[in-house]
Amino acid sequence: MNLRRLRTLLVREARATWRDAFTMTILVSVPLAALLVFSSILSTEVKDLALGVHDACGTASSRRLVAELSARGTFSARPFATRDALDRALVDGSLSVALVIPPDFDRHLRAWRTREAAAQVEVIYDGAEAVLAANAEGFLRGLVTAAVADLAGGADARDGERAGGPRGVAVVTRALYNPELDGTRYMVAGVFGFVLSFLTTLITAVSIVNERITGTFEQLQVTPATSLEILLGKILPLGAVFAADVVLMMVAAGLLLGVWPEGNPLFFVGVSAFYVLTSLALGLIISATSATTAEAVQKTVLFSIPLVQLSGFAFPTRNMPTVVRWLAEVFPATHYIRVSRGIYLRGEGPLSLAPELCLLVAFAGVLIALALRTIGART
Amino acid sequence: MRGEALRGALSNVAAVAWKEAAIMRHDRAFLAMVLAQPVMMLLLFGFAIRMQPANVPWAVFDRDGTALSRRFVEDVTATGYFLAPEVVRSYAEGRARLARGQAVAFVVIPAEFRREFELGQPRVQVLLDGTDPISAARVGAFIAGVGARFDGEATPRRGAGAALELRQSFRFNPTLSDRRFYLAVLAGMLLTNFCLSVTAGGLVADREAGTWEQMLSTPTSPLELVLGKLVPYAAMSYVVLAIATLGAGIFFGVWPAGGAASWLALAVVTLPFVLVSLAVGVFVSTLARTSAQAVFLTVFFILPSMVLSGVMLPYQLMPDGVRQVGALLPLRWYQISLRRITLRGAGLDDVAIPVLALSLGFLVVLLAIRRRLKPRLD
Repeated sequence: MNLRRLRTLLVREARATWRDAFTMTILVSVPLAALLVFSSILSTEVKDLALGVHDACGTASSRRLVAELSARGTFSARPFATRDALDRALVDGSLSVALVIPPDFDRHLRAWRTREAAAQVEVIYDGAEAVLAANAEGFLRGLVTAAVADLAGGADARDGERAGGPRGVAVVTRALYNPELDGTRYMVAGVFGFVLSFLTTLITAVSIVNERITGTFEQLQVTPATSLEILLGKILPLGAVFAADVVLMMVAAGLLLGVWPEGNPLFFVGVSAFYVLTSLALGLIISATSATTAEAVQKTVLFSIPLVQLSGFAFPTRNMPTVVRWLAEVFPATHYIRVSRGIYLRGEGPLSLAPELCLLVAFAGVLIALALRTIGART
Repeated sequence: MRGEALRGALSNVAAVAWKEAAIMRHDRAFLAMVLAQPVMMLLLFGFAIRMQPANVPWAVFDRDGTALSRRFVEDVTATGYFLAPEVVRSYAEGRARLARGQAVAFVVIPAEFRREFELGQPRVQVLLDGTDPISAARVGAFIAGVGARFDGEATPRRGAGAALELRQSFRFNPTLSDRRFYLAVLAGMLLTNFCLSVTAGGLVADREAGTWEQMLSTPTSPLELVLGKLVPYAAMSYVVLAIATLGAGIFFGVWPAGGAASWLALAVVTLPFVLVSLAVGVFVSTLARTSAQAVFLTVFFILPSMVLSGVMLPYQLMPDGVRQVGALLPLRWYQISLRRITLRGAGLDDVAIPVLALSLGFLVVLLAIRRRLKPRLD
């Protein structure tokens, strides 16, 4: 390898990339767009969700229950005169949660004091929206239980008697690191993994295949430069751009979304820049085995679907069946995302992340070796 | 005269469609891709992907150490969502487990748990790792649910002493299975991928190869050319739909719930969705100068479609602004229809609005394509 030749190639590639307005736009706008889009979508907070109410009881206490439920801004009550109308709204999807108060609600609430019967309330969730239903369930159960306990307490107070209160254990919950359970921070820390795995691999693969199709690769090969030098000259500037993207995204996340890393930012940039090498190598391997741009893209996308779904970026790996969990461990992205969340959200340092970091180094080593072999085989 | 013009246009469209179908039939790699993707997605969403927490690691600091406190720990474990608890000897040790991500929840049972229970005021503290908010919220709710039902007996009595008997049911999906949730919209994800990738490259490739100019020199108008290109792909889309629906049905038992009416609704709502998606692909390719650019533009349309349409996460919970942007995506309307049809057994009249919205979208995109494709040779 000749360093002077490599430098010439690097300068050439850097200039070519800089002048290519389309690629530059992608390199800057896609990471930022991904950051903004992904950071906003994960929400556990239920707000103003339509709650269909069929109040067959129609007494002061049942109306107070409904008012309590819509008072917090979590649900907004929509009355339904008949049970049929309510069912209909569940089928056409205009309702996701419904509350049915039976005619004897008030009577049972009063009778509760003598422990003869418990007041009954029926809650129906639209299971077709499984994720929404599961999120709303916790909220609504808490609200209904508290509101009815209040009402029952009120009923007792009026009767001038003191009740022992409902049994059960009060569970006092507190979420550390993210007290509001806001999805933004979690997703921001994951988006780095998404951009550096997907976009890096895609752009590397496509730009090298393109070079080969347009014939510039052959032109460079008749110069004294070796294939390795040409490829390094091609991908190192790209790698530098992606390392710059990491910094750009970090600053954008901080300024626009107020999410700064809890851990050391320099450590994070260092790990990320190293991880870019893995994706560059993967892009090289894909490009070497594809004849056309379309083929390279299809391969990248086909490879990226499991990458996005199984790496824990959107869905926690721990929920998956054992075999799939092993499979997920084979993706470098899984480990990078774990590391980036560790640094970003919990402020972890190199010591506690050591096993994951070792795996990342091992993956990079294997992929770079593979990439070098594929290049050797083709030239 | 008018009838003749229409017949002429139709025969032009049919001729182009025939040519495109012939090309498609010979493209082995393309056909392999069409078949490989549904299989992979079926496996992913059928087996792998769950929002429902499982194998949750947790730690317990039991300062009471009585049979009653152990019963509480057993009850939490018995919900089936948790691994065996890691028993820690100090508060700091539990906190450290949370900090290293080795526990999602840390349950602290106070020293007077048993005594407080007898007095009727028992309390338990739960610390959650909030970094993954969905898991944290659900795990917290599971433990709170155990607490609400806890009465210290080996077999909980139903509703004993409680002020309220809350009867909950999950309509259309009683076990709240994520598998049903995702498999219902499998066809939407596959078709978005398929339709956009097949058409986006097409026009640019024709231009690069010079065949576009050749076709323009025939009596066929640009719009007829475009429509002719769409026909074979629209037909192919129904093959993809069949694979997705039958695959989800045969292997995972997720069939359209409403019988014949649902199958009809499925077939009807798919047509405008496929047309608008194919048309978006064509439009993207009119914006691109090279096939590499077309490919990039397509990928960057597909990604937000998957994210913002609500196929993965509920769009109802997304913030204002983001939600409205998502409503401009064809996949939003299609996924709404698919979940209605497959899970709630909706018929044709329940999906009328999505069908209208998608058809309108198709017309708008078609007009946009027409504007971009004014015959010009440059």
